[in-house]
Amino acid sequence: MSQLLQALVNGVMTGTLIAVPAIGFSAIFAVLRYPNFAIAAYATIGAFAAWWANVAMGLPVPAALLVAFAVTGVVGVVAEETSLKRLRNNGALIVAIASIALNLVLENIVRFIFGNEMRGYDLPIARDMRFGDLRIGPQQLQSLLLAVAIMAAMFLFLRYTRFGKAMRAVADNPDLARLKGIDPAKIAIVTLFLGAGLTGVGGVLIGLDTSIDPLTGYRVLLSVFAAAVLGGLGSIPGAVAGALMLGIAEELALLVVPATYRTGVGFVAILLMLTFRPRGLLGERAA
Amino acid sequence: MTAFTTDRRTLLAGAAALASLSALPGRALAQGAPIKIGTLTPLTGAGGPYGPVMVKAVKAVVDEVNAAGGVLGRKVELISEDDQTSPEAGVRAARKLIDVDKVSAILGTWSSAVTTAVAPLCWESKTFLATVSGADSITQLPHQGYLIRTQPNTTLQGRKFGEFCIAEKAKRVFFLSPQTPFAKSQFDNITEAVKKAGGETGSLIYDDKKPAYRSEIDEVLRFKPDAIIFGGYTPDTAVMLKDAYRAGYGGLKVAFGYAVNQKLVESVPAEVVDKTFTIAPSPAEGSKAYARLVKMIGVASPDPYTTQVYDQINLILMAIAIAGDSSGTAIKDAVRKVSQAQGGAKVDNALDGLKAIAAKQPVDYDGASGPCDFTETGDIADCQFRYEQVQGGKLTLVKIA
Repeated sequence: MSQLLQALVNGVMTGTLIAVPAIGFSAIFAVLRYPNFAIAAYATIGAFAAWWANVAMGLPVPAALLVAFAVTGVVGVVAEETSLKRLRNNGALIVAIASIALNLVLENIVRFIFGNEMRGYDLPIARDMRFGDLRIGPQQLQSLLLAVAIMAAMFLFLRYTRFGKAMRAVADNPDLARLKGIDPAKIAIVTLFLGAGLTGVGGVLIGLDTSIDPLTGYRVLLSVFAAAVLGGLGSIPGAVAGALMLGIAEELALLVVPATYRTGVGFVAILLMLTFRPRGLLGERAA
Repeated sequence: MTAFTTDRRTLLAGAAALASLSALPGRALAQGAPIKIGTLTPLTGAGGPYGPVMVKAVKAVVDEVNAAGGVLGRKVELISEDDQTSPEAGVRAARKLIDVDKVSAILGTWSSAVTTAVAPLCWESKTFLATVSGADSITQLPHQGYLIRTQPNTTLQGRKFGEFCIAEKAKRVFFLSPQTPFAKSQFDNITEAVKKAGGETGSLIYDDKKPAYRSEIDEVLRFKPDAIIFGGYTPDTAVMLKDAYRAGYGGLKVAFGYAVNQKLVESVPAEVVDKTFTIAPSPAEGSKAYARLVKMIGVASPDPYTTQVYDQINLILMAIAIAGDSSGTAIKDAVRKVSQAQGGAKVDNALDGLKAIAAKQPVDYDGASGPCDFTETGDIADCQFRYEQVQGGKLTLVKIA
């Protein structure tokens, strides 16, 4: 029983780590209608930007998170405007493939600047807190709270601000939104800034827990993609639900299958979901 | 082909040695057809940094032995070829060495792929092959004894990890590793060593692309290990160490030398990695043979391959001497008589060995790479390993044994 509970707790923790970049991924998909695989590089860039702010500049973690958000947001917008934008008319598949190429380029730029070595944030490490047989890490709890706060902010932004409403309008029906006087180009830029920025923050959260290197983002790309598909591509609450479910499923699976197959669990989840409910858990529209 | 430069001092010493020899009445000078030995090392390609120094070490020994009169009264002639770290180029070069030059032995093949490709040519033509490749499969080839290697395979490495844990009084040993070609053989041999001492082992093979390993560590801790062997590479080992620390693990931590390196030590908080041991194959630093090699080739800290190929040429020249015959088959039959003869004269270089052999003494050679004793299949029975421990944010040498 305690094993099961511990696996659930661990699952929620990993789930929230994946959820933040999954929101970014979903937001970009909702508005621009293509899967942006360059988010792996955005997560890495965020992690390195925060590392620079934290270790080189001596800023505390929340400030470093803001730096990561801003830097990655700008990188996301610039990368889109200079490379992916002109491909958008050729269909989602072309842009998706181009985003993989973009990912490689950005990853190697990070490698060029920072080198291949691993780095860690300047943070003390704490032993887990124990509640009976259960153990919970203070650092993970902190990451969990940060992730929840970010998700809440995103939700409020989409729900109550003009930009948020406009974003949802474009996501719902771009033509109708244009008729209503919403400029899709402007919305696209804001969405990219937000989406890439959030992914960058996600990269930092992952890095806080582990170590960072130029492949940090790449390692979680599949999980993020799986979470977004599971929740329904383009749906923000769906991305959160998908990430949590994926995290929990992967950790629970460890109780019955060897750890080597952990990534396989994500694939099986996608397969089942696409077979039985192609729209995903909370998706409104088949992608 | 590479050009070799002989420095003036060696030349003078050689000439002097020759002159003094010729001054001795009644002593036969090196004569008859030369004994041909080939090296097949990577001078280019991935192994390029190693090959040239390896050849230099072999050349130094051959020069020294020739200066002292050669072997069986014959000169030793060295022919060096480049395998380009490529099996295809390696096979071509080996054919040339075997068919055109008719060498009796080939030394120094480096990449396991090259060795695997070249080995059949050698045993079919009864040419002896000494290699520095590590893949377990190499000594399992049907080589009929025509092959030895001085590089420890995974079997030996696994045993060393197991024995180390036992020596540190850990009876419950857990092996944690990503999926690698050597994970299974590593674990099997850790288990063998630990079981022999009455201990227990457990293992977990993980997916090395995950952001956290909390559940994996839970599973490890359920085994209640006294020791965890971290079998991964640097990035995943860093995360594993962190998660083990968080979970309150306070037992023995052991890892590969290539995973827990200075970079890892610097990138995680000090208490996470403190007291972790690392194990890696090592030359016999501090031995007389090692010091001798350093002096001979003028390289401050020669890499393991150079120390190994130095031992290979010493062994082969002595084997030819003790067999009284320079054929590949003679070397095959005689090599263990000079590497590990029971109660043999302890020697650490060919010159001393040749003198002992001339005095009809058996020989037990210990070289610059370690004891150089071989199993029936041609594996090195034991070799020096380097044990280090992270102490206060620095890797500190514990012992070489």
